[in-house]
Amino acid sequence: MLANKNTARSPGALAYTLLLGIISSTLYLLLYLYSDIMTNIATMIRQGHKGYVVVPIGIALIFSFVHGAFTGRFWDLLGLKAKK
Amino acid sequence: METIQFIDLSVSSTIILFLVGFVGGMVSGFIGSGGAFVLTPAMMTMGVPAIVAVASNMAHKFPKALVGAYKRNKYGQVDIKLGVIMGIFAEIGVLIGKNVMVHIRATFGATGTNLYVSFVFVVVLAIVGSIVLRDAIKEKHGEGESDNQEPEELPPLARWVRGLVIPGTMIHFKSIDAKVSFLVLAPLGMATGMLAATIAVGGFIGVPAMMYFLGLPALMASATELVIAFVMGMGGSVLYALEGAVDIRLSMIILAGSLFGIQIGAIGTTYVKDYVVKFVMAAIMLLVLVSRFFYIPGYLSELGQIAPINQDTIRMLNGIGEGSLFFALIFGAIIILRALYSGIRDHHLAQSADKDKDLVAVAEHRQLSPVGRFERFLVASDGSDFSAAAVREAFGMAKKCAAQVHVMSLVATGIEYGGLGEPVLKKELAIAQDHLDSVKQQWNPLGVPCETHVVHGQIVEQEIIGMAEQQQADLIVMGRRGRRGLARMMLGHATANVIGKSNCNVLVVPRTAQIEGRHIVLATDGSRFADNAAVTAGHLANKIKAPVTVVTVVETDSEAGAVTKAEQTVKRIVKYLKNQNVSVEGRTLVGRPDAKIIEVVQEKNADLIMVGSHGLTGLERILVGSTTERILNGTSTAVFVVKGV
Repeated sequence: MLANKNTARSPGALAYTLLLGIISSTLYLLLYLYSDIMTNIATMIRQGHKGYVVVPIGIALIFSFVHGAFTGRFWDLLGLKAKK
Repeated sequence: METIQFIDLSVSSTIILFLVGFVGGMVSGFIGSGGAFVLTPAMMTMGVPAIVAVASNMAHKFPKALVGAYKRNKYGQVDIKLGVIMGIFAEIGVLIGKNVMVHIRATFGATGTNLYVSFVFVVVLAIVGSIVLRDAIKEKHGEGESDNQEPEELPPLARWVRGLVIPGTMIHFKSIDAKVSFLVLAPLGMATGMLAATIAVGGFIGVPAMMYFLGLPALMASATELVIAFVMGMGGSVLYALEGAVDIRLSMIILAGSLFGIQIGAIGTTYVKDYVVKFVMAAIMLLVLVSRFFYIPGYLSELGQIAPINQDTIRMLNGIGEGSLFFALIFGAIIILRALYSGIRDHHLAQSADKDKDLVAVAEHRQLSPVGRFERFLVASDGSDFSAAAVREAFGMAKKCAAQVHVMSLVATGIEYGGLGEPVLKKELAIAQDHLDSVKQQWNPLGVPCETHVVHGQIVEQEIIGMAEQQQADLIVMGRRGRRGLARMMLGHATANVIGKSNCNVLVVPRTAQIEGRHIVLATDGSRFADNAAVTAGHLANKIKAPVTVVTVVETDSEAGAVTKAEQTVKRIVKYLKNQNVSVEGRTLVGRPDAKIIEVVQEKNADLIMVGSHGLTGLERILVGSTTERILNGTSTAVFVVKGV
């Protein structure tokens, strides 16, 4: 009836933070590798290809969620916490 | 018309942008405002055209606002309807503001927009910076306190606005429980949007407008502003992106640094006094103002609006501008890091003192084993009916078990605090303490020892679990089901997390549940965790003098022999409980576990269900669509979840 698996908490939290960190770093690496394309996309938008506007907006949303989730846990993991 | 130019990103300019984002984020987290008034000028100083700086800044901000609004909404601090309506008007403001910028750029070139943005910065920062500085000085001399003591009083402007009835335009808002004409919201929203489109900080108008014109509490105003910031920020970013003005590389590099910085800044505020935050805010605003001010003569000269200034003088003035901005950033960073350093040092000292307290707490326990110990209860209360039931049952059980009760109240905060958040937090904490004092007074006649604790934090379940650890609680009592406040936070994920992550037992009390000691239904599956529940049930049954029915349910599609095993389990537990002098009977049933257990509860008119549990992963797993969750959701009886050790 009731589940019976026992797992420690901290290693899980550490692994999750690391995973977010890796995803976030990968996203930034991709942005660096394709930075010229980003600039070209802005130029193309200016030239009338308005549909490309989804690219910067989508990037802003995705990066913010992933990197936000990572940094939110990062300092906590290092023991930097707010005073009560 | 000049074409929009993106700057070349070298390694050094990337590092500088990251650091600017980091310090900007830190300042932003510390003083609770967008930080854009640091980031936009900093980008402009690096040679980014004003329109690209504003656009890129906006694109890095709006997803942050979405995350912030989502979090604060969980704490019931957001008026979504008001935020969306204001956001739509703000969007119109952004459109106007952006067109003004585009028009100026078309007419006067990039220097024209640089001048316009710098001018607006100087005016806005002069006004807001002076107000903040005045408040800081008042607070330092203790004069600000009187403002904090009257949280209920409605500002005169808000009284006037609410009294203004224009038929056909009135909209009701839950947060203020009053109707306001959308004709009032339109200019407020539009002004917020226009400012946001010009300097990327709309909150300077939005937050005070909602507080003083509508009478929203500052905590709600700053939270609702996040919805406005998202709606208009998203719209504004799309509009600027359509012009090709969003340099997403800049936005994301700044975002990378800013998200690291914002957390440090927000943590830093908890280690300093309120007026220090305001002094830093005012100082940075005024320094940025000075910085922008020194650029203006150069722009005017370039546009031919004043007599030409020679290049050396312009270079010198720009140098002073750059220097002031650099100084503002370094000044902010040093203050925050210093506050953090001394805070952490003090915290370590306090922690060693706490360790001694823990030892005392452990020494005070009468019973050696934590299994089935009922000496310290923790209950969270927010004054709602739902938490009232939890408080009532916590005291009722504590009386029967001769336990002491720790009542906590929680003020939910976040890194997304508005610039006016700190004094409001103080008010909220004072209100929470008043509430706890009244709870203590109400239950005083029962003679149960009681302590109260007010805490504030970002993650509700973490605060509750932290307090339970700190107080060495044997039991956390929680309310269930509600639409707002703490009860709302305790729904779903938060409840699952408290049950899953706490090291002590958790009692979930629905609003109408009353534990009178009529009958306990103990659900077991024969695991060692369920054995813990059996031992605990034995202790509790003796204390509240209730009979127990032990139930095991075998699912219909179980393997052969499962029923026999289940019967043996029940017999074993019945025997144990009989030895503990508990009046007990056993049942082995076949069917869907939760449905069968609830049937027995109804048949026996039981007022308590006890189940065993063991840890985060398992419990979180079963709470998602399985027996314990179905029991918790399907019954109005209190459920006692016994944790494994």
